[in-house]
Order: sequence, then C-alpha cells, then structure tokens
Amino acid sequence: MGKYSIGGFEEVVLLTVAILFENAYGVSIKDEMEARLKRKVSVGAMRTALSRLEKKGYLKSEFGEATAARGGKRKRFFKVTRSGKKALEQVMETRKRLWGAIPPMAFDFKYV
Amino acid sequence: MSGPHAPLPPKMALRFLKWFCHPDLIEDVEGDLCELYKKRLEAGKRAKADLLFAVDVLLLFRPGVIRNFEPFNTKINYAMLSNYLKIARRNAMLYKGYTFLNLLGLVTGITSSILILLWIHDEVNINKFHANGDHIYQLFRNMKQTGGYVATTPSIPKPAADLLASDYPEVEQVALYSWPMEKTIGEGNKASKFSGRYVSPGFLQIFTFPLLVGDTGSALEGLNSILISKSTAEAFFGADWNTQALGRTLLIDGKNEMQVTGVFDDPGANSTLDFDWLMPAQQFIKDNDWVNDWGNGSFSVFFTVADEQKAQAVAHRVVDEIKTHTVGATNSGDETLIIQKFEDTYLYSNFDNGVIHGGRIDYVHIMTGAVILILLIACINFMNLTTARADRRSREVGVRKVMGAQKASITMQFFVEALAFSAIAVVLAVGIAYALLPYFNQLVGKDLAIDFTQPMAWAVITGLIAGVGVLSGSYPALVMPAFSIIQSLKGGTGQGRGSSIVRKGLVVFQFAISTLLIIGTIVIYQQLDYVLNKDLGLNKENLIDVHLEGDSLEQFNAYKTELLKISQVKAVSGTSGNPIAYGRSTSSANWEGKDPSAGYEVNVMITDKDFINTMGMTIIKGRDFSKDYNDSTNFIINEVAATLMGFENPIGKRLSFWGLDGKIIGVVKNFHMANMHQPISPLIVTCIDPSGSSSMMVRLQGNLSEGLKQVEAVTKKIYPSMGFQYRFTDELLEQSYAGEQTASTLVNIFAVISILISCLGLFGLSSFTAEQRAKEVGVRKVLGSNEWQIVYLLSKDYAKLILIAFVIAIPFGYYLMQDWLNNFEFRTVLQPTVFIYAGLASLVIGALTVGFKSYQAATVKPVKSLKNE
Repeated sequence: MGKYSIGGFEEVVLLTVAILFENAYGVSIKDEMEARLKRKVSVGAMRTALSRLEKKGYLKSEFGEATAARGGKRKRFFKVTRSGKKALEQVMETRKRLWGAIPPMAFDFKYV
Repeated sequence: MSGPHAPLPPKMALRFLKWFCHPDLIEDVEGDLCELYKKRLEAGKRAKADLLFAVDVLLLFRPGVIRNFEPFNTKINYAMLSNYLKIARRNAMLYKGYTFLNLLGLVTGITSSILILLWIHDEVNINKFHANGDHIYQLFRNMKQTGGYVATTPSIPKPAADLLASDYPEVEQVALYSWPMEKTIGEGNKASKFSGRYVSPGFLQIFTFPLLVGDTGSALEGLNSILISKSTAEAFFGADWNTQALGRTLLIDGKNEMQVTGVFDDPGANSTLDFDWLMPAQQFIKDNDWVNDWGNGSFSVFFTVADEQKAQAVAHRVVDEIKTHTVGATNSGDETLIIQKFEDTYLYSNFDNGVIHGGRIDYVHIMTGAVILILLIACINFMNLTTARADRRSREVGVRKVMGAQKASITMQFFVEALAFSAIAVVLAVGIAYALLPYFNQLVGKDLAIDFTQPMAWAVITGLIAGVGVLSGSYPALVMPAFSIIQSLKGGTGQGRGSSIVRKGLVVFQFAISTLLIIGTIVIYQQLDYVLNKDLGLNKENLIDVHLEGDSLEQFNAYKTELLKISQVKAVSGTSGNPIAYGRSTSSANWEGKDPSAGYEVNVMITDKDFINTMGMTIIKGRDFSKDYNDSTNFIINEVAATLMGFENPIGKRLSFWGLDGKIIGVVKNFHMANMHQPISPLIVTCIDPSGSSSMMVRLQGNLSEGLKQVEAVTKKIYPSMGFQYRFTDELLEQSYAGEQTASTLVNIFAVISILISCLGLFGLSSFTAEQRAKEVGVRKVLGSNEWQIVYLLSKDYAKLILIAFVIAIPFGYYLMQDWLNNFEFRTVLQPTVFIYAGLASLVIGALTVGFKSYQAATVKPVKSLKNE
C-alpha cells in the first residue's frame, strides 16, 4: 500500500471533495456522494472520514461564511492537499498495476 | 420559508450533540445538520425531519467526533496544584497571626467534634452486639397511677412470661432475668461479694454471651449450677481458670453449694445487661413462691420473634393479659403490657404515660446538633477571615486572571487552599483529641478510644477533611473569582456591600448560637440548683440509708437499740425503702367513699414509729405514730392521698389494703419520693411490721466519719453475714440527676468552645478592620480624637452585630429551654433576667475581644500610620 494509507470510503470522500473543488463542505459533499454513488450517506460516517483525512493531512479546511439556513453557523470548506492528491494517485497506480497483472484468461468466463 | 418562525431542530438532540461533540467540530457539524434539517423540512413533514435529525445526531456519536472526556489534563493539573499549595503556604507563613487564628478555630472545633462523635458512636452501639439483636424484645408493664398518670416498669409478673412461652406461637424463646443481687461467693478460704442475676436457660440462647468454657445448651439446666464471669473465675482459680473452673463447687452466702458449669466473658461496657454470675431462675422461684402470682412484678422478660410483623401481633395480644388473669382478685391493678425492641431500650428508656418518649436518644440528638453547630461556627471563622482579607490576595487573583486563569481555576485554587488547611487542622485535631481522651473519658464516664485499625475511623477523618474543607472553602471560592480584573490589579477588590453583609450575617449567626448556649447553661444550672435544693419535705442532710436484710424482729430491734447508743446517731428508723426514691405500691387500697371503678396506685411505706421524726417530716393534721398507742393498724397518709381520697378531714376515716384494715390518724406534709420529673404520688405509711425493712435510715450528727465507723461496727455485730452498705441520701438525690448533670457539663463545654471560636473570628475581623482603617484613625487623632472615641468608632459596628444576635437568640432560647423544663414536674420559672445575663455575657465577651484590638489600634502614634504611603 506504500506510505499512503487510505480506506475505500475515505477514497470516495476525498475524490468527491476534489470534484466539488471550491464548494466542498458537509452538506454538498453528502449530496454529491449520494447523487454519484446512488446510495445514502450518513452525516456521521462522512464526518468521521473527513476528520480522519484531515488528520492524515490529505485534506485541509477553512471556515466560510455563516448563513441563516445554517442557524448562523459557518461552513467548513475542505480542499485536497498535495499529499492528498499523491495518496489518490498512489491508490490509482496500485489499482492499475493490479489490473495489469491479471492474466486475460482469469476474466474469460467461457472456460470456467 | 427561512423566516423567523421556521421550526427549529429538536432541542434535546441538539443539546446532546453540543454536549458530546468535539469543540473543534461542533460549529460546522451543527451547521450542516441545520442545513439538512431545513432541506428536509421543505421536502416533507416536520416529524420526519425531526426524526432524521435525531438519527444523524446519534450516528455522529462515535469516536473521532466525541470530545475528549478525560476530566483533567493531569500534567498541567499537577503543576497548578503544586502552585496552589505553594502560594497557600507562602500566604500562611507571611501572615502568621491570621494563620494561627484560623487554625486555632478549626482545630478547636474539630477536636471537640471528634470527641463528641466518639461519644455518639459509643452510645448508639450499646447493646448492639447480640447476634439476633433484631429479633429480641422486652416486656414492660404500665401501671395506672392516680390522676391518670402511668408508671412503667420492666419488672413483669412471672406467669406472663410462662404464658408467652406456652400460648404464643410467634414467640420463639423466652428468658427471665432478675434484678441485680449481691451474693457472697466463697471458694476455700476466699470469699467476696459479687453482683449477679437469676436467669432462665433461654437467656443464653437469646443473648450473645458466649461461654468460654462450658456448654451453652445445658449450663443452666441443673438447679445447682452457676455461671461466672471470666474476671470472677480469675479471682478464684487464677490464670489457668479455663482448665480449673469447670465443675468446681462454690459456696453461696455461706450455705448453698453450687457447681460451676460455665465461664462467660465479662459483659463489656457496651452491654446494659451486667452481671458477675448467673444462676438458674428456677432456683430462685423455688424459694420465692410470691413470684408465681400475677399481681407481683419480678423478673425482666425478654423474648425473640422471627419478624417485625409477628412482634406486632404479640404486642397486640399481650396488652391485657394481666387484667384478664387478675380479674376479681384483690390485688388486681389497672395494668397493661407493652413490648419494646431490646436494642432500643437503652436509647429510648423514658416512658411518658406508658408511651416511649425519648431517653438518652435526646442527648444523642443534642450532641449531633452540637457537632454540626461547632463545625459550622469553625468553618464560618475560616470563611470570614479569608474573605475579609481578600484585599491581600486581590492582586494575585488579578494577575492570575490576566495570565489566562479562568474563574473555575481560581475557584479550584481556593478550594485547594481550604482543603489543605482543613487537612492540617484535622490531623492536629486528631492528635489533640487522642491526648485529651483520658480526661474526656473521665468526664463522660466512658471508655472511649480512637481505633485506627477501623476503616470507620479513616472514613470519618477523610469525611471531616472533605466536609470542613469544602464548607469553609465554599464562600471564599465563590467570592474571590468574582473580582473584576481592573479593580483587583489596582489593589481593591471591587467587593460590594454584599460580601460584607454576608460576613456580618455570619458573625451574627455565630454569636446567636453562643448566646443560645449561654442561655442554656444558665437555665440548666438554675434548674439543677432548684431540684437539688428544693425543700423535699424531709431533711436530707446527714441522713444515711443502711442496706438491711433478714426478717427477724428481735434482730431488728436489737440493731436499733445498739445504733441509738452511738453518740453520733440522733435517730433511726427502719423502712421498706429510702423515701426519696420509693416505688412500692398497691392498687387495692380501699377507703370510705372510694369510687369502686377507679383504679388507683397508692404507694405504701412500711416503717416503724420513729419514721416521721427521723426523716424530719412534718405532720400537718392529726398526730404521728406514738409509743403510747397501739398504732399497728393506724395509718398516716400524705397530702396528695388526702386530696385523692376526697376527705375534708381524713382523720379517723377507715382505710384498707393488703388485708389490713385501719384508721387514718395523721396527714404528713408532701415529700418527694422520686426525682422532680415526676409528680408526688399518694402515700400510705404504716408501722405494722418493720421487721422486713430493707433500709435502716440513720440520722447522724457531729463527727460523721466517726459515726459511720461506729454504725459499721454495730451492723457487723448484729448482722454478721450481711455486708455494710450505706448511701448518703443527698448523694443519692444528686445521682438521680446524673443525666441532667451530664447535660449541664456538656452544655457548659459547648458554650465555652463556641464562644472561644466565635471570639477568635471576631478578633480576626476586628484586627482586620483596625488595620484597614489605620490611616483614618491617624487622621482622626491628628484632628483631636481621643483614644476612647476611636475605640468606640471601631467597636460599635460589632457591638451592633452582637446585639442583633442576642435578639435572634431570645425566642429560640425561650422555646428550647421551656421545652426542656417541661420534662420536670417541678421546675424553676424562666425569668427575663436569664436572657439579660446571657446577652450581657456575650456582649461583654465580644466587646472585650473587639475592644482589645481597637484599643491597640487607637494607641498607635499617628505618625506611624500616616508616614508610610
């Protein structure tokens, strides 16, 4: 796995933050993930993943403005860091290598 | 939709979230949830949105989101703690005088509390060592007296005990227990007197007095068996009694041979059942047929039942057994039986009209109250001295706050300081209490000890440290952190009038309690003086009461004649008991015109013809017994009896009781036959047969010790087998107020302690005031004030407080003391002078305390106080 460790759900969250770019905060990330993955995402799970990613240094965050809809609370916007990007790339590389190593016969179900 | 009236997310869930969520995350998490909530509201129903909000919150309750719940970051806390202690120590050392006052107050208070707690602990544990203590009950007999008054006695007719055993299925075991009897026990050439009891075999089953040697089951079965205490066994058989004693023969009163069937451990100080020997009750019953009569009370009766409910059933059924079994008999009395749990008999021993009405438990309550009050007063001192001097600490508090200390940590600091003080004070107090214990034991007549091996002792010590620390620290910890930073850095405290009012209130409280205790001291002293010096109706001086046994009239007459030959003996008279503590009575007296349905209990005193004269009583109507008449069926009655019988002139009226029938020849002026708690009972005096007298009343004159020596010689000569036992009547009277004497001593001590502590506090406060106003005093002196004007200026505020305390103490004092006095049938009147004396006393003591410090301040040369800026 190299020096960048990252879980499956974390990877998805990190990718979503990257997709949303300047507009990645709690609710938007949740909506985006639900839209793209076609499944429910709980605030709790997402929130823990975000915290963990930030702790690992793959994400950084800063506060935005407060809005009335949020009961006067500020949004926390997330951004992927350089090492976040490297982690994502490493995961992708690893996958690619793994894919490349699969013998064609393995997926040829005619012979199974 | 996002108007001001938009519904808000469920409060409970939100509060829960705010409680557990990590502070770094709470803002945006809460924001996210609110935003989602709003969206869901727009999409659907509110209930659904609420539910989903709650679910989201619950799902957030997971590691990573939950904040760090460790109470302290231990590293920092330790550093702060040591800093608090260091600063506390420096402050204490800097102002040694205050530290000393503070500690002295706390130590005094805590020392006395420890001693009192030991006493209370001992009191409530008396009789608590019996294994089945929960199931043991005792029978009591209520005897209706004249005028509805009911006397209660533990002496029960023996047939009642038999009935309990045979007819009451609930009752498991029954035991008879006689009154204490002195027997001369001899073995070989050794013989001496020991006090013991006759008990039935059930006694050893019911109570836990384990036999060290011998068999509990059979020890009391044989008629000639005797059980002796360990110390008695040691007296006779030496150190190896445990092999020697069993089976040996002891000679009782020089005639009966008894075989030792067991040795029990001496009943300890925590047992009210006390005896050196036990013999089978059956043996006593065999020789004393009278105990088989329903009309005669004899043994104490104990029994066990399985549970409370069954005990209630027994209590219910047993009430009228005496009446049922004596109906129609000549000696039938209006008597009922009640039961009481044995463990309660020590603390709840007072019966008021046949109903349990306190007893020593009252003293336990008073002492508990005293502990609380004394600790409170001591803690108040600490609070006052600490907060009054807050000025000295205000800069420190200010700097701490500027450096980022929060209110909570300042609060913590002052609690730590108070706890440290309290710990030191408690440790000192335990040491002092330990040293004082022998003297305290002497005072209360107990054998108390601090047992450090008991976890209880440590629990109490820890409890005292925590309790005193938290209590005395609470007010400073509340006041100190509230100083405004700017004010405190300037040197002031910004303390408003509020805190000084609280302080004054606390001083008032302390002095109100002290005044109350002074009132108590005076009233109890007055009442004791009253009861001990009240005219008893007889002359109690130089009057001894010699214990008599035997029933030979010749011996009795010879004894009297011999006694009268002694020059120091003025008069003698045999009686059936000392008249100042008398209790023999009949309920079967009949007189002309008596209401046949009324049951009256009338005391009967059997004496000789010299009785009235020897006792120094006064005949107010009719005549005394006389040698010139045959008065054997003539009676003298007292005033109460005359009133009860309703005779205008009782002389010559017929009177009968106990099968005697005769005439009333005289009325004796009322004299007291019990202590002043009880009214004077009606009495019949007869001189029919003094041979069975149990007391010889001897009036001495001249050289008392010489007289006593002579009386002893005569007694030994006439009654060689009987020991010479005598009591001075005035001492006997004093002993009957032992409880009151104890109360008096204790209240005195409390009064002194509480005044001492209060004055320490007052001294501290007034010296503080004097210090604060030093410049003002200087200026006033420069402008021409004299010293006394200054003293007045500095003292008048405190004098006012003491006066207020006095006014507050009066109604409480009046109520409490009147309540106490009401326990007495004969009592002194609560006079206003009592309160005035008490008020003056506290005022003078307070004024001296304040005045001393004020005078010191007033005599300082102004140049000293004015030159330094």
